Amino acid sequence: MKAFETFHPIVLFAFFVAAVGLSMFFMHPVYLAITIFSAISLNIALRRQLFFKDWKLYVPLFFLMAIINPLISHNGQLVLLYINGNALTVEAIMYGLAIATMIVAVMLWFSCYNVVMTSDKFIYLFGKVSPALSLTLSISLRLVPRFRHQLTQIIQAQKVIGMDYTAGSLWHRIKCIVRILSILITWALENAIDTADSMKARGYGVKKRTAFSLFIFERRDGIALTIIMLLFVTNLAASFLGTTTFYFYPTFGTIKWDIGSLLFYSSYFLLLSIPLAIEIREAFKWRSLKSTM
Amino acid sequence: MALVKIDNVSFTYPNETSPVLKNIHVTIQQGEFIVLIGQSGCGKSTLLRHFKRELQPHGEMAGQIFYKGCDLQQLNAEVAAADIGYVFQNPDNQIVTDKVWHELAFGLESLGLDSVTIRRRVAEMANFFGIQKWFHQKTTALSGGQKQLLNLASIMVMQPKLLLLDEPTSQLDPIAALEFIQTLHRLNKELGITIILIEHRLEEVLPLADRVLIMDSGEILFDGLPRDILMTLPKEHAMITALPAATKIFHRLNGVGSIPLTIREGQRWLHNQQVTPADMSPTISYNDTAIAVEAKDVAFRYEKNGQDIVYHFNLQVKEQEFLTIIGGNGTGKSTVLAILAGLQKPYRGKVTLFNKALKSYSNKQLYQQFLTLLPQDPKTLFVQKTVRQELEDMARLHKVTEANMQKTIQLFHLTHLLNRHPYDLSGGEQQKLALAKLLLIEPKILLLDEPTKGLDAHAKEELAEILKDLQAKGMTIIMVTHDIEFSAQYSSRCALFFDGSIVSEDEPRAFYSGNNFYTTAAHRISRELLSNAITCEDVVTLCQKTFV
Repeated sequence: MKAFETFHPIVLFAFFVAAVGLSMFFMHPVYLAITIFSAISLNIALRRQLFFKDWKLYVPLFFLMAIINPLISHNGQLVLLYINGNALTVEAIMYGLAIATMIVAVMLWFSCYNVVMTSDKFIYLFGKVSPALSLTLSISLRLVPRFRHQLTQIIQAQKVIGMDYTAGSLWHRIKCIVRILSILITWALENAIDTADSMKARGYGVKKRTAFSLFIFERRDGIALTIIMLLFVTNLAASFLGTTTFYFYPTFGTIKWDIGSLLFYSSYFLLLSIPLAIEIREAFKWRSLKSTM
Repeated sequence: MALVKIDNVSFTYPNETSPVLKNIHVTIQQGEFIVLIGQSGCGKSTLLRHFKRELQPHGEMAGQIFYKGCDLQQLNAEVAAADIGYVFQNPDNQIVTDKVWHELAFGLESLGLDSVTIRRRVAEMANFFGIQKWFHQKTTALSGGQKQLLNLASIMVMQPKLLLLDEPTSQLDPIAALEFIQTLHRLNKELGITIILIEHRLEEVLPLADRVLIMDSGEILFDGLPRDILMTLPKEHAMITALPAATKIFHRLNGVGSIPLTIREGQRWLHNQQVTPADMSPTISYNDTAIAVEAKDVAFRYEKNGQDIVYHFNLQVKEQEFLTIIGGNGTGKSTVLAILAGLQKPYRGKVTLFNKALKSYSNKQLYQQFLTLLPQDPKTLFVQKTVRQELEDMARLHKVTEANMQKTIQLFHLTHLLNRHPYDLSGGEQQKLALAKLLLIEPKILLLDEPTKGLDAHAKEELAEILKDLQAKGMTIIMVTHDIEFSAQYSSRCALFFDGSIVSEDEPRAFYSGNNFYTTAAHRISRELLSNAITCEDVVTLCQKTFV
């Protein structure tokens, strides 16, 4: 699945800001159901195997969070039983489940974000704000793997001359580590001179830099961005009007099913299913392309 | 009008008494391919940096440099940055950003060009250099050769008129180096870019050069056509050893007529001489000495689900042998050394050291008495501020006596360098210091990882002398290298590493005369006439015999 991630970084970023931002604040059961459903389906579409591996993390986490709340919160009117004189209430259990759903949904949105927003897209977005910062980011991203490689080289070389940091007394180990780091730093500083020369030789600092990127803002990006914005504003309005609010304490509020609420619910669903809709549309397009070929 | 004119330039570094450059006069015409050579420390890099204003070293300079008739110091900053490109020695250090496409755009971004122009220029250069396939990759994922091509391409996008290169291929393997040099040739021929190149690989570069400049202690000793070098250079000059094999053989046999530069010209010239077929006796082998290192069916991979880097690897090294293992880049030769040194553990197979499993030695025993490994990057060993402290530090660690230290300093000719900072030494000197440091503990086995990388002909000879000396004293040497010439000339046995194991091995004469492609220049020149001459020395000896 590779349709959604080909959109312009601004579109992607806007979507995730909207999705994560709204998911974090809407505790209404319908909204929770929509966000967890959308997050799971997008995860399956984008990450496949990886997502099924992650269940080992998400499921225990979900139950852990769901259990903790009723243990510490004893509010609510529907008491199930008393433990050591403390009430275990249905409201507290449901609230725990709601919180757990919300957190897992946000985590799932973030794991999609990591797949879609690669480092160069992130750097590009930052470059819009500050070109210097984005260049710094790009340089650091290059340095980290280089340092790691050189570090292993130094560790091996030092091991051969008897400075093995994994063996010997604590004092010896500390000495070895200090030595290894000192070599790494000297090496890094020495190389930085070359890098600075290379930057200078290519006109760095001569004029105000422009930020080049491979990303092009197409018409479809404009359309997608507009839709995201409109739906986001609609949902903010829903929140302002109180449609998204739901009380767990002292006892459950009511879930409204009137036309207005239903429209607001579907606007939320529409917003969160944009990426999946794009993926599905693309899949169908390919299938029809193949059959006509 | 000349592109660049260097008019009576002298230069002295701060706190130095004698100048590095002495009254240099050079004129460079548009479209020339110039090779600048000289021994390390002769001032060739300093001279090259003077062509590029942003990189001019600090110090006292006299004289003037003109670019297209305009004083280089007065030149507009944008023109200076774009028109004159500079490629450095180390492919890694000059890459600034994390993505290939971003690196290509870096210079144009600095000049403040708009996205549309950058996109077009980047596309053009990516096409010319064949970068499309790795255009989206991270720069850390590239091979050394790709990195250096990227560095060249990211300068070419700025559309320079003059390209300056300071030993750009010294860190590359022979195949990548050849590709790089051919790209330079294309840039010169197809785009008419003026090139000034400092290079040690004269075998490949001299035939392409329009003009050669030879520097010697701050002065230009020779300025002319490649074929005229022999006529002008003093007969015993140190640069003679660096010349292409064909030229060297011609020179040693006092040839007359047009001087051969390439293999083909060498073959032609040799055929016209009255040479009767002959062969050399094989080099001494060490069949009767005991086995020092043995590897049996060794297999190794870095990750559980990764590919085997080394497998079915079998090797026997006798005491006092000098074994060179040659093979392509990134095939796992360095990994083999790490396994033999006990730094990496094979998941199958057995490595023995003097008939005892390598595993049974403690690290202390192993690295203090038996073996040592010279890493590819000698800087990974340097911690101190001076060469002397560097050696003292090692001596203290391993309780080496002062007398032994002095002996090592003598052996490695380090006396005049004792007060220098290790990072200020030339590549060859750093290599020597690293080796001296390691050999203070007098191990029985010495492992070397590409020690000739980036060394000039003279430094290589010096290294060879030291290794020969150590071998004569009973040391076993195992060396991994790309350097076929070095391996043929000095080792006592050669092995070819390919696809995880040793494919063939023999004493150098049999080994290199058995290979068709993977062999020395001298053998390629003389193969038709002399069955197993593999070095220039061999060819000269045999020819002289038949001349009489």
